[in-house]
Amino acid sequence: MRHMLRLMLTSSTYLQDSASSEKKNRVDPANRLLSRGPRFRLDAEMIRDQALAASGLLERKVGGPSVKPYQPEGIWFAVGYSGSNTVRFKQDNGDKLYRRSLYTFWKRTAPPPTMEIFNAPSRENCTVQRERTNTPLQALVLMNDPQFVEAARHLAANAIKECGDDLAKRADYMAVRVLARKFDDVEQGIVRHSLEAFLNAYKNNPEGAKGVVSVGDSPAQEGIPTEELAAWTMVASQVLNFDEAITKH
Amino acid sequence: MNTSEESLREYTRRQFLGNTAKGLGTAAIASLLAKDATAGGIPHAQLPTAKAKRAIYLFMSGGPAQMDMYDYKPKMGEWFDKDLPDSVRMGQRLTTMTSKQARFPIAPSKYSFQQYGQGGTWMSELLPYTQKVADELAVIRTVWTEAINHDPAITYIQTGRQIPGLPSLGSWLSYGLGSANENLPTFVVLTATWTGRKQAQALYQRLWSSGPLASRHAGVSLRSSGDPVLYLSNPSGVDSQVRRAMLDGVNAFNQRTYEKELDPVVQDRISQYEMAFRMQSSVPDLTDLSKEPDHVFERYGPDSRKPGTFAYSCLLARRLAERGVRLTQIFHRGWDQHGGLPKDLPNQCRDIDQPTYALLTDLKERGLLDDTLVVWGGEFGRTVYCQGKLTKDNYGRDHHPKCFTMWMAGGGVKGGVNYGVTDDFSYNIVENPVHIRDINATIMHQLGIDHEKLSIKFKGLDLRLTGVEPTSPVKAILS
Repeated sequence: MRHMLRLMLTSSTYLQDSASSEKKNRVDPANRLLSRGPRFRLDAEMIRDQALAASGLLERKVGGPSVKPYQPEGIWFAVGYSGSNTVRFKQDNGDKLYRRSLYTFWKRTAPPPTMEIFNAPSRENCTVQRERTNTPLQALVLMNDPQFVEAARHLAANAIKECGDDLAKRADYMAVRVLARKFDDVEQGIVRHSLEAFLNAYKNNPEGAKGVVSVGDSPAQEGIPTEELAAWTMVASQVLNFDEAITKH
Repeated sequence: MNTSEESLREYTRRQFLGNTAKGLGTAAIASLLAKDATAGGIPHAQLPTAKAKRAIYLFMSGGPAQMDMYDYKPKMGEWFDKDLPDSVRMGQRLTTMTSKQARFPIAPSKYSFQQYGQGGTWMSELLPYTQKVADELAVIRTVWTEAINHDPAITYIQTGRQIPGLPSLGSWLSYGLGSANENLPTFVVLTATWTGRKQAQALYQRLWSSGPLASRHAGVSLRSSGDPVLYLSNPSGVDSQVRRAMLDGVNAFNQRTYEKELDPVVQDRISQYEMAFRMQSSVPDLTDLSKEPDHVFERYGPDSRKPGTFAYSCLLARRLAERGVRLTQIFHRGWDQHGGLPKDLPNQCRDIDQPTYALLTDLKERGLLDDTLVVWGGEFGRTVYCQGKLTKDNYGRDHHPKCFTMWMAGGGVKGGVNYGVTDDFSYNIVENPVHIRDINATIMHQLGIDHEKLSIKFKGLDLRLTGVEPTSPVKAILS
């Protein structure tokens, strides 16, 4: 088995660049002829785990019972059998919020929504291949789920702490953590442009800034001005939302 | 879905946009994609005879007692506490809740019945409002199923099979018809509160799942507390201006990714983010009932002001119908009256009676009833014999699959029609049986889908909602 995997993964076919071309799109739209390397969206668990890992929040403990990370209220109650011991959801706290998604508690009548929205199988049929959809609900999860907003804040705080006042360095810190590469000049420009918009918004709205940095159970990082942390949290959230961030390529 | 004509068709669309995109701004791309999304569907399965553009399905989860609401059985009065004859039961399989009972004493309905409307539809006193719209309804008293327990039965009527994992009716409709509103899901589910028996059967998200169909065809459950759509609201401190700036940056970055990789999925991602942004205003607009006039709330009843009730859900269903959502399915739980039926059933009926009447009249006044099919029913019926202790005023009823009542209205269905005849015990069908497959075929037919042609390849078979056994729409109730 190991030999076969090594053979496949080190083959020149697999190692091809995933970038397509107009000709490849025309002749081999579904890549059935393997004219380019694989390029597809990460699975549900990987997307969440990656955000936790990149932000430094990931709890690496192995084993133990399932955990109940963030979940909007009322999901279990809306469908649960009234006498069931899982009719009401009670969220865990502390490290249990940041464990790998593998450990997330699974209620089959109402699975964890973030997992479901990113096509984790329902556990009702054997699944040979996961579906990979591309939906607005996925965008809403990555933008608004407290798990991802909190991860963005930690990623931002680490960038600020590690890179001092050098804005480009801070951006690159986040790019390396999430995309495994640095930004090019144009991308730096995009980030800078967004950052300025966020900084302006939060300078005029300190209450809003306080709101952004208080998402999630972990306290706001000390020693960073709230407006600055809020603005960089939004930048980090952008990075976690990039197509490239959630795509294997 | 990674295979099949569906993805190929999508590909061509993306390829077209990919090739033309370079000269366009992202906003223009987004609106192009959005317009395209209103088409879709599976043309070869569509019928030119479609009568309805959308449907609202009022699902009574637990199994309403047909002989206490619609299936009038006057002879049962003489049968009080007498045993159900073996010649009627004919050794039929019972649930384990009553199969060990020493006797099966008949419990006649304690409610009085009258005929209503030109069609002379029998209804019990528990439905004072529905009586007024009797002539809109085609009542089918001879629906039947094979399943005798909730989970398999509700999975069966929703997906065409008792074992979980197949697409639900709404997903098939979404797949077959495509979307009619770029800003809302094609299939919406509302789970309503109930006031009967507190102990209610569970629902399962698989009842509105898309199974092997693409997951965009799955029902989106609109919640009555918190965000109506999960994760719809921005986090605190993120206003729409900040969100717009954030999205502009993400889109600009993704556009560059597209130019480097030429993967059409990236274009799709950009349009999905724009759709998410549009939903952040279109969904609150949908669920904001503050502009509904008082007389509308009065019509639907006092509960209609309380989010999550059946009345509120009916009002929301009308707003969803107005916005072109293909199927809105309201699940109302608590119909499983094994004991103490006379205590719980009136409450359940009160929950649904006035709102159902209001929904039909409201749709009619707005000219929407002609092309909106409304369906009412549960996963099975209940037994004429009593479960537990029987008195004149108190009885319980077990699950009964061999006949139960459903009705349809609007959407090309004849009103004031009574279809099918059951025996004196509301136990067996005497005339015109309608399997739940036929119900699903009828719904599809009215919405313009040939149930035999809408299929996908799945596990080596051509999978259809209505399976392979003989199935046909109930033509007798169609206008």
